[in-house]
Amino acid sequence: MLSLFRVIKFSLQDIGRNVWLSVATITILVLALLSINILLTVQVVGSNASQAIQEKIDISLYIKSDVPELQIKALEDKIRNLPRVKDVNYISQEQALQDFREKYENNQEVLSALKELGQNPLSPSLIIIPHDFSQANLLINELRVLDDPIIESRDFSNNTVVLSKIENITKRVSDVGLFIIAIFMLTGILVVYNTVRVAIYTHRQEIEIMRLVGASNAFIYWPHVFSAFIYSLLSVAIIILLFYPFLSLLQPYLEVFFVGYNVNILSYFFNNFIFIFGAQFLLVLFINVVASLFAVRRYAKV
Amino acid sequence: MISITNANKAYTRHSKVLDDVNLEIEAGEFVSIVGQSGAGKTTLVKILIGEERLDSGEVVVGEWDITKISKREVPYLRRQIGVIFQDFKLLPKKTLAENVAFALEVSNSSATKIKKIVPSVMKIVGLEGKMNRYPHEVSGGEKQRAAIARALIHQPKILLADEPTGNLDALNANEIIDLLLRINKFGTTVILVTHNKEVVNHLNKRVITMEDGRIISDQKNGKYLL
Repeated sequence: MLSLFRVIKFSLQDIGRNVWLSVATITILVLALLSINILLTVQVVGSNASQAIQEKIDISLYIKSDVPELQIKALEDKIRNLPRVKDVNYISQEQALQDFREKYENNQEVLSALKELGQNPLSPSLIIIPHDFSQANLLINELRVLDDPIIESRDFSNNTVVLSKIENITKRVSDVGLFIIAIFMLTGILVVYNTVRVAIYTHRQEIEIMRLVGASNAFIYWPHVFSAFIYSLLSVAIIILLFYPFLSLLQPYLEVFFVGYNVNILSYFFNNFIFIFGAQFLLVLFINVVASLFAVRRYAKV
Repeated sequence: MISITNANKAYTRHSKVLDDVNLEIEAGEFVSIVGQSGAGKTTLVKILIGEERLDSGEVVVGEWDITKISKREVPYLRRQIGVIFQDFKLLPKKTLAENVAFALEVSNSSATKIKKIVPSVMKIVGLEGKMNRYPHEVSGGEKQRAAIARALIHQPKILLADEPTGNLDALNANEIIDLLLRINKFGTTVILVTHNKEVVNHLNKRVITMEDGRIISDQKNGKYLL
């Protein structure tokens, strides 16, 4: 108990009396964490956006107008049972007309042209949502060969282009994001590792003196391990305090940019708070402790 | 007290820093070890505090056979032997009193004991008024006094002084030697490693002269020969 108290005392004394070195070490840790969190944000925004866009993609089959609803339901069930289909929405002729009117409620020319026709020109349709976005093309191929006399027309020719574009963008965002995160993580790890080593290099005389006056290993190593804990805790606390205001400022811009899509970076960070910052704390602590132990060992060989 | 038998040590294959050294030092003696640079004096000090290991031979300090000491036992050995150095080796970010107390803190002494012993040792070395000064705020002589206080804090039976006056002017050097003599009078064995001819001749105590890793002279009331 006495030893623990003294280890904490030596550590806090050291942090306080080498305040600029402590500030420099924490600053490096914060900068490393900041770059990782910014990249994480880019990654999350990218994948959220593409996921939101993916969910808006559908594949439509138009049904002949005079087909009884029972037959349409049978086709709907048949399609729903396809393994690559996530969901099928039936849009009746009336519903299609209502949607059309809502869509063009501010366009009197279109609405008057519709009135001129005197009847509902729209066909009922089945909107098919694929299970796995990346396999949408395979589903389209299946739907192309689906033979049913009630099908009037199929609309997925344009979607295939959009689908493949989005698929490419998502994959690229994901790959590049991960690559950049990996590079930043590696750079961050090396920078933090060397910062801690330099910090301990300045303590080499102290470590040597500790050895000479008969300090046991516990007294030599543990204050540095405790300092590593304090540095990690403070750097993660600072990054949380810096990052949430940044995300709050960013969120309105994201909402404007991704209008109509649900991209909420703030709630993502709130919902995954423990995982994101807990993992960062553990990572920083691990690098700090390993660097400290290696560096102290080097100077404690007296 | 200290028995060194057939001690050999070499850092390279061709040059021996200790060459078949045999030495007996009795409890309560004041011994000066003199010699040119590279004679093996500092290596001998390092061997005695467990910082270096012999290639062959035996060193016994009190009841410790240092040649067989484990790494875990080294801190305990160092609490039995006080050491002071030319460059003082004080922690710059600690006050003089904290530097002295540090040696007790790292050996798990209670706060009550530290509070009691530190001021009394600081008084013995004449630093009672400068306990809260940092090393950079005091003179070289005062730094060395603080180092001596730290070395004495465990009440060691042996005090090793490796060139303790090397960084001091004549006045401060004499004060430090007087302090070492006083400590010796209390019964502590003092081993003084030095280049300082005047100091050695003034002491009129046992002088061991080393050259090229060998003991070439051992006089009871000796003078600086080289």
